[in-house]
Amino acid sequence: MTEDFFDEEDFQGKIDRNIIKRIFQFAMPYRNWFFAFICFTLLTTLMDSIQVILNKYLIDQAILTGSKSEAVRIVRYYGLTILVQAVSVFGFVYIAGMIGERIWYDLRQKMFTHLQKLSLSYFSVTPVGWIMSRVNSDSYRISDLVTWGLVDSSFAIVNILVSLGFMLAINWQMALIVLAITPIMIVTAWQFRLRILKEYRNVRRLNSKVTGSYNENISGIRVIKGLLREQENLREFNELTSPMFQSAYRAARLNALFLPCIQILSAVALASIILLSQKKIDSGMITIGGIQAFINYVTSMLWPVQDLARVYGEMQQSIASGERIFTLLDTEPVIRDSADAYEPESIAGDIEFDHVSFYYDDGDGTPVLEDFSLKVRQGEVIALVGSTGGGKSTIVNLLCRFYEPKKGVIRINGNDYKTYKMESIQSRIGMVLQVPHLFSGTIRENLQYGNLNASDDQLHEAAKAAGADEFIQSLPNGYDEQVGENGNLLSVGQKQLISLARAILANPELFIMDEATSSVDTITENLIQKGMEQLMKGRTSFIIAHRLSTIKRADRIIVIEDGRIIEEGTHNGLLKQKGKYYHLYTQQFRQEKEKDYALQL
Amino acid sequence: MKSSEKIIDYDLTSARSKRKLVNLWYCMSGYRVRYLFAILSQGLSTVCKTSVYLLLSWFIDNWLILKIRTFPIAVIAAGLLLLAVLEGMFSYFANSTANYTAERIALRIRNNLFNHIQRLSFAYHAKVDTGDLIQRSTSDVDAIRRFFSEEAIGIGRILFLFIINFTAIYRIHPTLAFSTLIIVPLVFLVAVGFFRNISKKYDAYQNQDAVISSLLQENLTGVRVVKAFARQEFEIRKYEQENWKKYQLGKRLLRMEAFFWPSTDLLCGAQMAISFIIGAFFAIDGKISVGNFVAFLSLIIWIIWPIRNMGRIIVHMSRALISFQRVMDIFKEDQEPLDKGSYLPQKDPKGYITLDHVCFAYQNEEEILKDISFSVMPGQVVAIIGSTGSGKSTLMNLLPRFYEYTSGSIKLDDIELNELPRSYLRKHIGIVEQEPFLFSRTIGENIAYGVSEKKSQSEIEEAAKAASIHENILSFKKGYNTMVGERGVTLSGGQKQRIAIARTLLKNPRILIMDDATSSVDADTESDIQSALKNLMRNRTTFIIAHRIQTIQEADLILVMDKGRIIQSGTHQDLINQEGLYQKIFKIQTRIEEELEKEMCCD
Repeated sequence: MTEDFFDEEDFQGKIDRNIIKRIFQFAMPYRNWFFAFICFTLLTTLMDSIQVILNKYLIDQAILTGSKSEAVRIVRYYGLTILVQAVSVFGFVYIAGMIGERIWYDLRQKMFTHLQKLSLSYFSVTPVGWIMSRVNSDSYRISDLVTWGLVDSSFAIVNILVSLGFMLAINWQMALIVLAITPIMIVTAWQFRLRILKEYRNVRRLNSKVTGSYNENISGIRVIKGLLREQENLREFNELTSPMFQSAYRAARLNALFLPCIQILSAVALASIILLSQKKIDSGMITIGGIQAFINYVTSMLWPVQDLARVYGEMQQSIASGERIFTLLDTEPVIRDSADAYEPESIAGDIEFDHVSFYYDDGDGTPVLEDFSLKVRQGEVIALVGSTGGGKSTIVNLLCRFYEPKKGVIRINGNDYKTYKMESIQSRIGMVLQVPHLFSGTIRENLQYGNLNASDDQLHEAAKAAGADEFIQSLPNGYDEQVGENGNLLSVGQKQLISLARAILANPELFIMDEATSSVDTITENLIQKGMEQLMKGRTSFIIAHRLSTIKRADRIIVIEDGRIIEEGTHNGLLKQKGKYYHLYTQQFRQEKEKDYALQL
Repeated sequence: MKSSEKIIDYDLTSARSKRKLVNLWYCMSGYRVRYLFAILSQGLSTVCKTSVYLLLSWFIDNWLILKIRTFPIAVIAAGLLLLAVLEGMFSYFANSTANYTAERIALRIRNNLFNHIQRLSFAYHAKVDTGDLIQRSTSDVDAIRRFFSEEAIGIGRILFLFIINFTAIYRIHPTLAFSTLIIVPLVFLVAVGFFRNISKKYDAYQNQDAVISSLLQENLTGVRVVKAFARQEFEIRKYEQENWKKYQLGKRLLRMEAFFWPSTDLLCGAQMAISFIIGAFFAIDGKISVGNFVAFLSLIIWIIWPIRNMGRIIVHMSRALISFQRVMDIFKEDQEPLDKGSYLPQKDPKGYITLDHVCFAYQNEEEILKDISFSVMPGQVVAIIGSTGSGKSTLMNLLPRFYEYTSGSIKLDDIELNELPRSYLRKHIGIVEQEPFLFSRTIGENIAYGVSEKKSQSEIEEAAKAASIHENILSFKKGYNTMVGERGVTLSGGQKQRIAIARTLLKNPRILIMDDATSSVDADTESDIQSALKNLMRNRTTFIIAHRIQTIQEADLILVMDKGRIIQSGTHQDLINQEGLYQKIFKIQTRIEEELEKEMCCD
């Protein structure tokens, strides 16, 4: 998957039968309903055509013969068709709409469920926005195609066919004229549609860029003002909006030309019928009512033709949507349990990295970890230190089995961890991320993420242990306070405390923490330290450490550089070596102290 | 200035009437006559359409029934074709012109908005919500566009259809004409009521859509948490709940639609049936001809059915007007004049700056800066230290006139700052932020972002080298053409900062404002940044907002700030011998080193 793959907004123009087949498989569970709404659709269009015939009878058998009772009788039938039509319109609008919503629901659910199974590597290369468009809008296009697309096209096709049938019954020579012109109308309409769609796509593409421009213009305002970019920015912006105007106007012009062209084609049919009508009337081959019916059929023919063209255009887009949905659904999780994976009693025990090598698939293949070996005893606290990009996070990712080693083995309790079920490992790990992530909802709900069955007492206890209880109680709604989208209503420090409490509540057998680099105030900092202490007690812990207090508390410090362990040992031992650790430590010491003292001033 | 005049073809900030419709009229400036023509030809197109039916009526009566045939039938066929072509032409003209106007106005509003937003003051940007502003700039503008391209012209079309066809039937027989109106008001009311009602339900449905959308977004951004707690099942259930709710809301919406369409169908159908029977009786009684009756059958359709659509258009129109108001509200805010100033120096500034009893407060709020006085010689380095909220950043915001000082005097080369155009100041002041903002374009473009004239690749690379970022950039696959942001590389804080430094180096300002942010950067990169900064500060009057003590010892002037005041000032040497905050800070510095020493030997 390249960058371009995610840019691809549209289809290649080809209609792939397999994809259509797969798309309609989404509709299979509801096939009975489909049958029902298509019947209703047909009934509706049939009534349309009958109404035209009734008008014919009204003229021929009531007006021209002067019979009022006949007129009343015919209009009564007319009334009946209207009633039937109302019922059938209700039928297809409700059923098609309902099934559309349902299929949309199904598709979203299906994709969401599938996404939960995919491995982390998928999410690191796929932009969030791309996935969101698949789940939110492509799914809509599919459900729209198999319901309203089907309604409109079956309506249009049947309408045209039934009208032609009635016309043939009234006068076959005149009907032939219409028959000859209909395909021309359809092809013309379709050609227009294709061109209009092309312009619309361009408009949409430009429009998303325009939105992006607004966004940067607002969030980068300081830089823009500071660098005096206003003039230049406006010029660049105009380079987006001007072509957007051009494209939109071209589309509008095509659109404005489209209907008149079809209309003129139908007028050609009408004029031909008029030309023929004189002889037919004189020879008694057709009645006045018959002529009227022809006029009516021909002038209303353009609507189904237009619908047909529209559905066809939309179908192409829907197929493109379908293709993208299938690429998502067809993606297999890279990391899966083997068939004989089992659920261990516990994963507490020694952990061993045995000659592990690893590289990320989306990178250029340079190894992030090379021949990495490490043995950790049950209950040991390991601090991982080293510069950014050295491989610390990768060690943690592998340990959580977000990724698996390319070479070598990771053993938990002496067994290759691939023999365990993935879920059994992950559900026993307590993890605190560098950038804490909360979900919208209440604090309570976020804490429960660690343990869905936790009682209120357990909840409070965990919050207390993490030092989060105090600030939570001080909020207006306490534990029921909303945290906002991504937890944004809380401060970074508060989010960290909650994510600690969440991990405590999970009562994990293995604790992993990526310490935050961003600074919080001293009080919160102390609370976080205490919370961590709680978590590390008696548990095997891996800490990607930045703070001196954390580092010093570790049983063993591992200094990692370029995917290898370059130094290893206790704090004192490493200081004496005067190597990389010594350098990191002194620098960190100065920074932290300066900050501490700055606060005192 | 010339190019900007072309891009902004009409200044919308001048549309300041209290009345929406008047402002709408201003907005249409330059396209009013055109739009009027569009509506007019919509009417002509309708006249042609109705004429077709009248011609057919005449044809049936005279030609087919009475058999009066004074000229060849081809003339009638040709007439029909001609009318169809005319109708098509007028309709094309109407729609393309209306759309031209709509798209032009949309373009005008978009460009105006973009320009206006970037020229609004910081005071405005500080209080405004980005999401809201973007929504106004996109979906509200689109609603205005649709107002001109669909709704206004649509209403015109329906009115013309109604008036012209009604007149045609009236000419056939007045009673017949009025008989077509029996149910019309009812249909109209039902339609307006329905669309108003459903638009509320639709909002609820849309909100639910937003709910599941953000649920998905949170799930995707929090994927590590979901996996780390093995909460996939829980997430699926949570999503399913909201997803199901949306399905239910969608069904509710559908039920309304499913009732509305057939019930208005019934009403319209009943109207048709009534009119048919009346028409048929009239025809039988000889009050109207057969041809007239045939025409009537078609004309009535064009009176009744469009009414149903009118309800929708009216509701959309009222929403469009709300959108219009929301957009115009932005234009009510005053721009910050960039080029206004009573004095424009011909030469670049030397960089001699004096502040004399400067005070500053945000609108009607407590003073944030009090009585600030100091002066800087060209090329000197001023360091400002103090705790968060002491006013350091606010003070620096005054120099490029991001905010205006409320009293006192600031002079650049002996000229009062507020007499100089903002553009002049900003051209000669470079700012390096604590967390630099980069744009989603290539790294090369980001470096060249601050200069209006084209810079060669070698100049850009020169700046990058001086900012110690050149090597980093080359290590990316696409080098200087690497995109920044979601579609490209994720840069570390230190890399971003050095790109910002390169950007400022290329701009080559006389005066420099720097927020020293090395505290959040790795050890290796810190030395890189230090050397980059040294390059940057050479020969410029420099202000450093310092968070650390080490960096400021070489400064020519150190200002110690507290609660909006300068409490101490002088050189490092002056200040360490003076009792006060700075001395404390300095002592801490030595204490830290002692502590570190102790840590190393005794632990």
